[in-house]
Amino acid sequence: MTTASLPIGLPRTHTPPARRVGCASGTIPAPQPAGHACAMGNEPADELEALVRPLWLRAQAGDESAYRKALSAIAGRLRSYLRRRMQGTPDDVEDLVQETLFALHLQRGTYDPGLPVSAWALAIARHKLADHWRRRGRREDLHQALDDTPESLIASTPASDGGTGDIDRLLDALPEAQRAAILLTKLEGLSVSEAAARARVSESALKVQVHRGLKRLASLLRS
Amino acid sequence: MKTEALIDFLARGAGPAPRAVAARRLLPAAAAGAAVSVLLVMVLMGPVPAPLFATPAPWIKLSYAALLALATGWMAARLGRPVSRLGAPVLATLVIAVAMAALGLVAWLATPAQARPAAVLGHSWFACPWNVLGLSLPALVAALWALRGLAPTRPRRAGLAAGLFAGALGAAGYALGCREESTVFIALWYSLGIAMSGLLGALIAPHALRW
Repeated sequence: MTTASLPIGLPRTHTPPARRVGCASGTIPAPQPAGHACAMGNEPADELEALVRPLWLRAQAGDESAYRKALSAIAGRLRSYLRRRMQGTPDDVEDLVQETLFALHLQRGTYDPGLPVSAWALAIARHKLADHWRRRGRREDLHQALDDTPESLIASTPASDGGTGDIDRLLDALPEAQRAAILLTKLEGLSVSEAAARARVSESALKVQVHRGLKRLASLLRS
Repeated sequence: MKTEALIDFLARGAGPAPRAVAARRLLPAAAAGAAVSVLLVMVLMGPVPAPLFATPAPWIKLSYAALLALATGWMAARLGRPVSRLGAPVLATLVIAVAMAALGLVAWLATPAQARPAAVLGHSWFACPWNVLGLSLPALVAALWALRGLAPTRPRRAGLAAGLFAGALGAAGYALGCREESTVFIALWYSLGIAMSGLLGALIAPHALRW
């Protein structure tokens, strides 16, 4: 019942900010993102958007420190979004935050500058959440009652503890070329051209190996 | 692993975001799918006789298929990107489909009553949609593969768009081997074949488009 959206019985004074009206964030998401008409893109720009958008646009152009800040801010929003929807399995929240961050990174080319960054990120989070439920076969979680705390009160939750995945360990499971590409660029911090020279491959081949390796890491993290 | 450590790991050396990701995946998929379907037509049916190209029929088929491939490819590209707007490509697709239907209707009205059954059914009305569907399969596989590498968060619609896109490419291939000359025939049976491919795409998308 996706129509049972607003927290009924909530005192009027606790009504979430006006931007939530009509597109309730408390909506229980359908297993497939069928609630598209209520996508976050319909929301007016909020504070997070105002903070993240300039950072994100700089990050898309290659600014690494802006990218780090943008991802941190988005992670806080993802955490509260997912925590609200995964009350039956709070231990999985951070894993799913990390899975979504992986997906945001791997798919950052699909961001369209004409659209809100937060809407784009939350659409991917919603997709990952539906996928998580499908894999776990926990469809009943869709029907769990939600805590009626307004989302604004729990926005941007700091990470209490980490996820259960361990990149250093998972790296060993990658094919040699992908592992080497990730070690050189991500852990040794070489530039693409330096890493390509070291691995004796072209720069584009190295980038492909990094991308494939990250993709493989993300799927290992999931299983 | 701490999430901050993961963010650090992802951001380090990330460089600029890749550009034109949808085009870079969909265009090779379209080229491969169309090439395979043309090859199949040439091997299995043989090309239409050259004089037929002096009549409008093959050109109507090819322009219909090409325009539809452009509009639905645009739609598929949009559906590979979360929360992107669909209005323009959906409108373009509808305009092309309605224009073809109108062209078919005008041709039907212009046909003398006793010639109408032949214009509607041709000699291959039953085979045509199935052939279009069959020839669209390589492009459908390729288009779904392309979308999987993007971020389709609306899998049904993405599958429908991929299916229509593949159907249009399959129809373009079929046009090179199909000897039907009636515009009414094209408006009916080509469109049905393309729609069947779209339906197939929508049906298998929830499984095929997991990422």
